[in-house]
Amino acid sequence: MATSFIIQSMNRAPASLAILCLEDEREVLKAIIRDLAPFEEKFRIEPASNVSEAREILVELKRGGHPLALALCDHLLPGTTGTEFLVELNKDPATQPARKVLITAHAGLQETIQAVNEAGLNYYISKPWTAEQLQQVVRDELTAYILQQKINPIHYLAILNTPQLAQAIATSNLETDT
Amino acid sequence: MKRTYWVFLGLVLLGLPSLFHSESLNPAAAITMGLFLMAGLFWVTAPIPIYATSLLVILLQLVLLSKNAPGVQYFSFPYPAELAPSPAVFTGTLAHPILILFLGGFMIATVAVKFSLEKNLVRILLAPCGSSPRLLLFGILLATALLSAFMSNTATTAMMVAMLLPVLSRLTADDPLRIALALAIPLGANLGGMATPIGTPPNAVAIGALASSGIRLDFGQWMLMAVPLTLTSLLLGGLCLLALYPPKAKKIDLQIPGRFDRTGSAVLMYLVTGFTILLWATESLHGVPSTVTAFIPVALLPALGLITKEDIRSISWEVLWLVAGGISLGISLEKTGLATWIVGLIDWQTLPFFLLVAGFLGVSVLLANFLSHTVTTTLLVPLALSLGTSGVISGPGEMALIAVSIAVASSFGMSLPISTPPNAIAISTGAVNSPQMFQLGVVMAILGSLLTWFFATWLWPHLLSFNQ
Repeated sequence: MATSFIIQSMNRAPASLAILCLEDEREVLKAIIRDLAPFEEKFRIEPASNVSEAREILVELKRGGHPLALALCDHLLPGTTGTEFLVELNKDPATQPARKVLITAHAGLQETIQAVNEAGLNYYISKPWTAEQLQQVVRDELTAYILQQKINPIHYLAILNTPQLAQAIATSNLETDT
Repeated sequence: MKRTYWVFLGLVLLGLPSLFHSESLNPAAAITMGLFLMAGLFWVTAPIPIYATSLLVILLQLVLLSKNAPGVQYFSFPYPAELAPSPAVFTGTLAHPILILFLGGFMIATVAVKFSLEKNLVRILLAPCGSSPRLLLFGILLATALLSAFMSNTATTAMMVAMLLPVLSRLTADDPLRIALALAIPLGANLGGMATPIGTPPNAVAIGALASSGIRLDFGQWMLMAVPLTLTSLLLGGLCLLALYPPKAKKIDLQIPGRFDRTGSAVLMYLVTGFTILLWATESLHGVPSTVTAFIPVALLPALGLITKEDIRSISWEVLWLVAGGISLGISLEKTGLATWIVGLIDWQTLPFFLLVAGFLGVSVLLANFLSHTVTTTLLVPLALSLGTSGVISGPGEMALIAVSIAVASSFGMSLPISTPPNAIAISTGAVNSPQMFQLGVVMAILGSLLTWFFATWLWPHLLSFNQ
């Protein structure tokens, strides 16, 4: 069909990319997941309350063929820091392309420098955040991921940064008249 | 695996006609019929990409139907030598003059996007519309159509969506104008494609098939026929949108920032583009074929460094090859005598010309809703033209009319999100839903069929004169 490519990928599109949220405080994790509701339709949202749980989720995602698009991480975690976890993600080729965001109230200068230099941190949200602020950051980061990974932007037009994605379609010949 | 079944069925269809020997259907024609059935099935069900089917058709023609082809020698078909074209005839379709014309169009579109020429054109086209929502709707329809007449419908849609979505988000959520504007973009893009030979690939299919039958239709002649049709249907489409979705906003604040690029490279690009389009539109005055003109941007833009090798790689070559396969198939259809044989199956004499046109363009609109517009045109135009070669319709004039009708009618096939890539983009924005698109699409399919039929049977014959 004219657009069989579009249809095939439309069927595949829902929730093929994953967002990981790592936060040890149950209430805060709940709040993050609630704020991410607008992205549920097209992304798998995976909550984790500690690092070992997060690692298990990453194994599951790999097995299911779901690339990690975005990791939202609290900084202070029992026994470790979010920054260290992000550094770990950045070293693994499978999760290296994922966008990395730190949500924190207490990261010192040293950790922040490490996060930027070694974890390839893309954004730093300081607590407390507003739903709009978080959604805007997530939207920007996911858009950047889609463009960077050259994923067909058409499925994400409605929920991510539409003008930017439409511009990418216009100039990239991803879809042409047939 | 559904895909495997379709491939298997296609291969059966390929061989089937060759099993039936008859006096009237020679072996080469039987092979061509098998090819046509297989290609048709593959194009419709798409077990392999549609451009891959086109390339497969050319391969099979080279192996089975060309002069000294291995298949011909191996199976020792009683295949009259004068019927078998040389292999170069089939491979040559990849550089068919109409595809060179398209290549010129692709080059111009690529370079225009690089310098944001399209955005600046939209900006100045929309400026006179001021802040009136109704005027703006027509402005957007016209601007989108104008760009899509020279660029791909898909790229035009994506560009307009990128420019206008911020405007839509400033309207209140319940304002029907949002839906009207979101529908106006794919509508303008689909209709604008009809306006010039390089607007959309189905036009190339019709012109290519006509050229194979020895009928030349130049750039200006095409525009003379198609531009009035495009403008009329844009007007009707705009009125439909206003009737269905009357705007609530009294005024709309449209601020599109930007200015024309005035660097040396940009000015060179404006000159090359402007000169090429001018030569295309005035072909009937100076007689330089549009293919020759098309080679000006193809050669000069890379020479001036305005098109790089990355740009050349980004050109949609698969679209050109898709069309080439169709043209190639058309050649065998005529050369092997299959066309005449098909026409002989039905007693066409009872059908007057205006009914024939109605039938073909009706089928074209219908199929184009579900299939690729190029595939629709590729399947129908050779059949329609075979009526001319076998004398059912009279002369090059009527052949041109019927081929152009089929091609432009396919552009009215736009009721479903899958009908055209512009529709898919518009739906993906979330600003409009499928039932809304379907409603407008059905209205446009009906209006468009009637308009095309009226133009083809009443207006166009007066505009065209063909040398026999």
